[in-house]
Amino acid sequence: MEMSMRERDGVAIVDLNGRLDLSSGTALKERVKSLFEQEKMSIHLNLSQVEFINSSGLGSLVSIMKETRLRKGRLTLSDLASYVQEIFDITQLTNIFEIFPTEKEALSSYQPVATN
Amino acid sequence: MAVYELIYSSVLESEEPMLDRLQALLYEHSVCDRDARDFMLAVSEAFTNALLHGNRCQPNKEIKVLIDINQKVLCADVIDQGRGGADKVKKKCPSSLLSEGGRGVDLMRYCSTDVKFVEDEKGDLTVSIRLERQDDRQFNK
Repeated sequence: MEMSMRERDGVAIVDLNGRLDLSSGTALKERVKSLFEQEKMSIHLNLSQVEFINSSGLGSLVSIMKETRLRKGRLTLSDLASYVQEIFDITQLTNIFEIFPTEKEALSSYQPVATN
Repeated sequence: MAVYELIYSSVLESEEPMLDRLQALLYEHSVCDRDARDFMLAVSEAFTNALLHGNRCQPNKEIKVLIDINQKVLCADVIDQGRGGADKVKKKCPSSLLSEGGRGVDLMRYCSTDVKFVEDEKGDLTVSIRLERQDDRQFNK
């Protein structure tokens, strides 16, 4: 799996490309850990190019989410391919992750809401 | 009918070449995307079980993957050298949504027609996966 990093308005964005499984899930956890070490606590994972995910990949995401919560940060996901979305649905992980249809919507949710 | 035998050592790095090879075989036999993804998911779960829970990542232990592709069915036997533990594998399930593991067996069952766990006299575990090909049929899952 290939991973690349971007940042927008203080949100660290990780683009994932390929299969999210045991070995790539471990690498992803390491990558996010390095973000935490840089004090980046707002993490967005763009899964648009993830073609395959298994229980090990899901476990890695759960681990990252728990670590993010522990650090009072926030983790969002977006652009799940239909097959990946289905895996989230059947494992009921849609109930514990913040999943957005698009990256744009996910990033908007980080912006403070203007009040009168 | 085509039968393939793939053998890997029990290291984390084996998963990727196994999936690469399996994907290539499914493509070669014109298996539709949906069946290919389901079959790859089921086999990857069995492979991970064999690697982590059966062979406990001991590189000297092998994981054998037997693939049988025909017009109607995709079959895989994933065999470890773990010397026991079938009941434990079958009963594994996540204790809560926040558990990091325990979803593999459920996913295996979800994306295949049938899954069997058979332990031989030495205690080696074979996970047998069978998926009836849907190919051009309407997908109902």
